[in-house]
Amino acid sequence: MNMIDIENVSFAYSGKVEALKNVSLCVRKGEWVTILGHNGSGKSTLAKLIVGLLKPQTGTIRVDGVELSERTVYDIRKKVGIVFQNPDNQFVGVTVRDDIAFGLENLQIPREEMVERIERYAKRVDMYSYLNKEPQALSGGQKQRVAIAGILAMRTEAIIFDEATSMLDPDGRKRILSYMRKLRDEGVTVVTITHDMREAVQSDRIVVLKDGEVLKADKSENVLKDKETLEQSNLELLLPLEVLHGLEKKKSTNEELKEFLWQLSLNG
Amino acid sequence: MAIKFERVSFQYRGVDDKGYLALADINLSIAAQGEFITLIGETGSGKSTLAQHMNALLAPTEGRVHIFGVKLTSDKKKNRKQRLNPIRQRVGLVFQFPEYQLFEETVLKDIIFGPKNFGVPHEEALERAKKMIQIVGLDESYLERSPFNLSGGEKKRVSIAGILAMEPEILILDEPTSGLDPMGRNALLKVFYDIHEKLGKTVMIITHDMDTVYEYAKRVLVLREGALVYDGEPPGLFSRKHVEDWNLELPEILRIQRALEERFGIRLEKNPTSRKELIEALGEVVM
Repeated sequence: MNMIDIENVSFAYSGKVEALKNVSLCVRKGEWVTILGHNGSGKSTLAKLIVGLLKPQTGTIRVDGVELSERTVYDIRKKVGIVFQNPDNQFVGVTVRDDIAFGLENLQIPREEMVERIERYAKRVDMYSYLNKEPQALSGGQKQRVAIAGILAMRTEAIIFDEATSMLDPDGRKRILSYMRKLRDEGVTVVTITHDMREAVQSDRIVVLKDGEVLKADKSENVLKDKETLEQSNLELLLPLEVLHGLEKKKSTNEELKEFLWQLSLNG
Repeated sequence: MAIKFERVSFQYRGVDDKGYLALADINLSIAAQGEFITLIGETGSGKSTLAQHMNALLAPTEGRVHIFGVKLTSDKKKNRKQRLNPIRQRVGLVFQFPEYQLFEETVLKDIIFGPKNFGVPHEEALERAKKMIQIVGLDESYLERSPFNLSGGEKKRVSIAGILAMEPEILILDEPTSGLDPMGRNALLKVFYDIHEKLGKTVMIITHDMDTVYEYAKRVLVLREGALVYDGEPPGLFSRKHVEDWNLELPEILRIQRALEERFGIRLEKNPTSRKELIEALGEVVM
């Protein structure tokens, strides 16, 4: 069963070249898929289409079997949450508590359950002691964690991370990555949109976009080692895999070393 | 020294009206030429505050900052009497989201805005715009385009061209490559390195990317909770003690080098600092 089905979707911003050209891809339930691509490859446009912030000119998008339309968009947003790149643009509450409550109020969750969920998910992202703080008192990484708690509290079946780590320091980035892993382990469908190979490395499958088109979609292992495809989309191999690539080009038979480099790339 | 910090502290008042120490007792000198510095530290460690002291956007609450002969202290009255405009021309500061500061109808108008503001004649400002747009890796056709129809990476380049057109002696960039894809990041870093190498200017980059620190910097400054805890060459920074004490992320090159040494006893004669050097060095040893 697929969580997200995208079929022959094209999209152009008014008066500009097409951001997406006849894109088809699917995300299975419980799967972690990375959408990789250069700046301007159309990957964020794709995220906005999936949650109905933009409407495709052609093609269809189905979420959990339901076709996205003006009639279904609000039901779909109960199933798919999204965390954006800039933590400052998505903090809507006066305090952390308000901010996490925002989505729950929209879902008309009873008060007692709401309080319980806010506290539980604030703890999950290590922001419990900040519940009464205002956004000014938080770092970018902390605001991003609050945004994630807000979505977790809504218990959506899928979460899209749209370059959610690109503005964070290494510590902030690692935390968010650890949440992604945990979500996948719990059966939540995860879609990460990024050009950071370290974020792609632990996902199940990778879709590479170039200039609005799907260049390659395959198991992560096959994409991570595909120097040619990655470079076509302004990306680069993870360094251990670049070394591995060099060894293979020279026909090295040191399998132990090759395996070690592969493991190094997974633990970056 | 072009910039000198003497026992500089900076305290600001938070929304809760409490005082917060953003910089604590900083001593530091930066030359007007030939330096390539990276400034690192966790979010909230005072990096941007330090940078803003370097072109007089902020003045210390304790201690003294000297910038090209101008002295700034906690005495606001005296600070105001100083001529700060020339400092801001000589020390160019590119903010973290320079693309938000583009506002003119065309890229050209945006680039010449700064120099004209500092009294550069129109003709010369045009010449500079043509030169700088190429230095940042875009062609002249961009000059007539609207800055709002550019990609994030292109906007960043345009705003950097605008600062370069003021011909600053020192160029400071606050996280200039965050959000750029790998090739875009490499291309822009090369631009900064060329500005340093070919034009001899001092460049300081604020970054979270240890690979940038390791590959490019000749000097690295580390801030922790407002204090300058390291001022030296990058290799010395990544000693096991510092990495542990300061929770530093290792540059990828060093992480792999150390892992291979530990696991397979592979020792490289020279410490590579670029991807290419690492692969070449390993090629010689492993094959």
